[in-house]
Amino acid sequence: MNQQLVFERQVKPFFVGGLIRKILPYVLAIIASLAAAGLFIAAMGFDVWHAYVTILGTSFRTPNGFVQTLLKFVPLLLQALAFTVPLAAGKFNIGGEGQMIVGAIGATAIGILLKDLPAPVLLPLVILAGVGLGAFWGLIPGWLLYRYRVNEILSTVLLNFVSFQLLNYIATEVWADSAAGHPTTVPIAAAGQLPMLIGNPPLNAGIILALAVAAGIYIFTSRTVGGYELIATGANPRAAQVFGIDGRKLSLLALVLGGALAGLSGSIEIAGVQHRLIEGMQSNYLLLGIIIGLIAKGNNLAVPFVAFFIAVLEVGASAMQRTLMIPGEMVFIVEALVLLFVLLSDVIRRR
Amino acid sequence: MIFAKLVMLSIVPYVLAGQGTMLGGRTGLFNVAQEGIMLLGASVGFLGGYLTGNVWIGIALAVGVGGLAGLALAYFTTSLKMNQFVIGLAIFFFCVGLASLLYKVIIGVTLVPPLISTLPGIPVPGLSRIPLLGEIFFVQNWLVYFAIVLSAALYWLLYRTRLGLELRSVGENPKAADSLGVNTTRMRYVTAIIGGMLMALAGAYLPMVYTGTYTADMVKGRGWLAIALTFFGGWSPHLIFFGALFFAGIEVLAFRVQVGGRGIPYQFLLMLPYLATLLVMMFAFRRARVPAFLGQNYDREKRYQ
Amino acid sequence: MTNTAVLEMRGVCKAFDGLLALDHVDFRLGAGEIHGLLGGNGAGKTTLMNILYGLYRADAGEIILRGQKVDIRSPKDAIEHHIGMVHQHFLQVESFTVAENIVPGTPIKNILRLDLKEAAARIAALGEKFGLSIDPAARIEDLSMGARQRVEILKALYRGAQILILDEPTTNLTPQEVDSLFHIVRAMVREGMSVVFITHKLREVLAVCDRITVLRDGRNVLTLRRDDATEEEFVRAMVGENLDIRRSIIFSGRATADTPLSPRLKKEPNSPHSQGAGEAISGRTPVLQVEGLNVLEGGVPVVRQCSFNVRSAEIFGIAGVAGNGQLPLAEVVMGIRPATQGRVLVFGQDVAAIGTAGLLAMGVAYVPEDRLRDGFLPGANVAQNLILGSHRDAPYARGGFLDWKTIFRVSHDLIAQYNIRTAGPAETGGNLSGGNIQRVLIARAFARPARLLVAHNPTRGLDIPSTEFVYSKLLERKAHGDATLLISEDLDELLLLSDRIGVIYKGEIVGVLERGAFDRQALGRLMSGVRT
Repeated sequence: MNQQLVFERQVKPFFVGGLIRKILPYVLAIIASLAAAGLFIAAMGFDVWHAYVTILGTSFRTPNGFVQTLLKFVPLLLQALAFTVPLAAGKFNIGGEGQMIVGAIGATAIGILLKDLPAPVLLPLVILAGVGLGAFWGLIPGWLLYRYRVNEILSTVLLNFVSFQLLNYIATEVWADSAAGHPTTVPIAAAGQLPMLIGNPPLNAGIILALAVAAGIYIFTSRTVGGYELIATGANPRAAQVFGIDGRKLSLLALVLGGALAGLSGSIEIAGVQHRLIEGMQSNYLLLGIIIGLIAKGNNLAVPFVAFFIAVLEVGASAMQRTLMIPGEMVFIVEALVLLFVLLSDVIRRR
Repeated sequence: MIFAKLVMLSIVPYVLAGQGTMLGGRTGLFNVAQEGIMLLGASVGFLGGYLTGNVWIGIALAVGVGGLAGLALAYFTTSLKMNQFVIGLAIFFFCVGLASLLYKVIIGVTLVPPLISTLPGIPVPGLSRIPLLGEIFFVQNWLVYFAIVLSAALYWLLYRTRLGLELRSVGENPKAADSLGVNTTRMRYVTAIIGGMLMALAGAYLPMVYTGTYTADMVKGRGWLAIALTFFGGWSPHLIFFGALFFAGIEVLAFRVQVGGRGIPYQFLLMLPYLATLLVMMFAFRRARVPAFLGQNYDREKRYQ
Repeated sequence: MTNTAVLEMRGVCKAFDGLLALDHVDFRLGAGEIHGLLGGNGAGKTTLMNILYGLYRADAGEIILRGQKVDIRSPKDAIEHHIGMVHQHFLQVESFTVAENIVPGTPIKNILRLDLKEAAARIAALGEKFGLSIDPAARIEDLSMGARQRVEILKALYRGAQILILDEPTTNLTPQEVDSLFHIVRAMVREGMSVVFITHKLREVLAVCDRITVLRDGRNVLTLRRDDATEEEFVRAMVGENLDIRRSIIFSGRATADTPLSPRLKKEPNSPHSQGAGEAISGRTPVLQVEGLNVLEGGVPVVRQCSFNVRSAEIFGIAGVAGNGQLPLAEVVMGIRPATQGRVLVFGQDVAAIGTAGLLAMGVAYVPEDRLRDGFLPGANVAQNLILGSHRDAPYARGGFLDWKTIFRVSHDLIAQYNIRTAGPAETGGNLSGGNIQRVLIARAFARPARLLVAHNPTRGLDIPSTEFVYSKLLERKAHGDATLLISEDLDELLLLSDRIGVIYKGEIVGVLERGAFDRQALGRLMSGVRT
């Protein structure tokens, strides 16, 4: 149906030359969006300067702020990759949310059911359970696409809604923690929890795992035959097929891999941060993950940097809401505007 | 039968959003921002009705905002030639953020959410007296009648008028239409704007008929379901209308069984609409008659498309 | 004696992305004349006429119609000025009927109702008048190429075109249909119309045109009445000074007959001859064997009991009008599509078992007909495009990892060797012009040794020097002992290069002619389904 490749940048191997020229549109986009948001903020009667300082500075002012940023960075990074990997093949994975939830469910299940196993065994199992279940949640739309040509935008989104109900069910009926006021499960065994890198503020080892995975994904897409075939499928599925690449199978695998990555983010949330299933844990990671993927134009090298920036903004947003009473949605608008301006910069450069 | 009456009541968001998607799709413009536009329509519609005390002003504002969203989509894709899915997603984000932002700014966080009065049922004189059928079909709020009339009108437009033929030719082969002097750009703009208006109206329906309030998750995926509905209905107005009956039926069914309490955990019943849609899509996509250039932009001067 | 000019284009300039396509071109069309617009691909003929028809905007220049300066901004304006254009690639909606294709864009009588009866009657009447028989209620997808072209012409006539532009109208026609087209064109002129006939084939303009304008590299090089110049003068105008006509393959008619086989093959006991491809082909090993091939597409058979062989050191041509099964055939041979029945053997092995990737690795190369749709990655860079299909093996890849350094080095070489106009291997493919995209595909096909090449319309869209280059490469292959399956809708090309020509009609090979027995009329009859 749609045979245009979404972005050019993701298919070129990375060249260091011209770095400044590459970054400039992003910087301009950020400035423009903040300016636009600033107008809005001022119109609502708030202090614009303070707002800027809070949004951008909260992450760097205190160790806690920085750790909070890193904690947000991990799921954002993985969610973004869960979107960009299928995107390389021209497929839109809008199911990162559901895949994350299902991954979290898997991780929690293992963490509760097998709570007597020792840590070196339980922890990897907890992580892998999340990855596996997330992969499964990506397999369903992948298979529907492969076998029945069902549009993956629809199937991934619908599964999100299904996963919400699943989460609710498990948190209220299966392993419910009756003491909590909000649907939550009992915590997983301590042996299943990720070790802490720093005790206080709490930074778990999940970040190392996430960065390693991100590096692996980058190498995969830019330097392997498999990555090339993925990109060729996205660039022109028909031409790829004509020259011996099984695009349909690759798209399926890409969705499974995307699901696995999102599932991993669920595992890490459980094993590293929450230690239990909480309804609503997925926050708005999905939407942000997609925005990150689009701003980075599908380039897996740029994704971590954009993800970090968004994490900074998000931390700033909650602080801004707490201290300045400015609605956090303002930052969401900023992020959407950054995306818009970055996309526009492409158009301008074309002319 | 209350069930049938509820179904007729519930088809409106599906029909409106589905026809809006279809209209743009027939000229090749694939709008995937429905979920966001509907939410924004709900927010603006509610706020407008709340602030002015007049439901019609709320509706008018919602429709206006939807039209703007459609205009943005048309501009970025048709004039600036940007990717339709990406722009659609960007508009979706923007609308979601804006919807909640507006509500927060105007209403703030309250313990008891404010209410607006919902739309009343309007009996059609004469016809509403028919036993059984009269109560189901002819005593509904005016948006239900609008949805029915709209679907019929769109069917007539698309298949029985010259304008409809030209519209369809733009979606099937824009270069051919262009070479015959059909204004493809104008058609895409117009269908996108009207489509956006319908989607926002579909969203505004939710607070105005169902709950009387606005919540951030009130669309519940109906926007995405509308896309499935459009494929299911083969991008044809009459099939979309009948398909909407099916989708609405499942929605009402899940709700009723949940309330009835049959021993199945209610969460699984709430999954029903989505799972049913997945099932339906397996068959819909096989035989779907999709406009040939759906999702693709047209550039007259591009030498090699 | 001067003709009153019904149309004049003066000083037209047009550039695409900095590349000058038209350079101050002047063009005059006399009333009631058939004017040939001749030139190689890329010379600017279609661009000039697209400007006239309002599809492109000229950067400079003016258009004067019947003495009045006019501004044409869109096809709508052109139509209002009674200009019509029949494009090379038909612009039709397959699922609509003929009437539904012709009618959009014409003035609407009744907004509320769609009444095609009156339109159908008018279409039928026009068809009668000009000898273009067509059923207005037929669906396009059921029509032959010739019939579809009649629909395109009727589109213009329905709108009262006085000036008709025909862009490469003979591309998809059998020789007999071409003659029929010429009759129709002459009938139109008798009715008072003026016709611009765009083509790259000298033979055609000489057959039907009154005056001929030659474009080359975006400039008007020559405008003369047909009888006022010799053939060689027209050829010289088309190719300029760069090509030595005597040594050219296209224009001198030299080809396979004069191509000596390489010494290695001369020593083979079963091939006693050293020249002339006509004899003793049967003695060579078959590289490609197609046996009883049947292919269904949507329940309709598109290839029927198709059987033929291609041997080493041979160019086997497949002639036929477009749409007679060439594409399904090529795709089954390349393992892209499965056959319904029958089999294809390459180097003795069943293609169904090997698959496309396996074939490519084994030494088979493919140049697909639709280079953009089937062969090119616009969002990827030139290097990534050049390795498509060969990306799994050495030297481009090792152990699953790509060797970008080698890839780029080889890409640089290929760009130079095949004259691909690009900034470099890292340039985005989408920036390349059509001709250069084709060169990328050609480079890709010739970059690694291949014992079998399947080439489908390989020179379509290429300018004359590039066409010469491809022809010489094909002959080189033959001299080297490699086999080529050349599927082409250009009969002249096949006659020049092939050792044997098989004619495909409705998916079946209805006849095979050998070099020495080539006859254009006989081939034309076979192409129309008339069996001898």
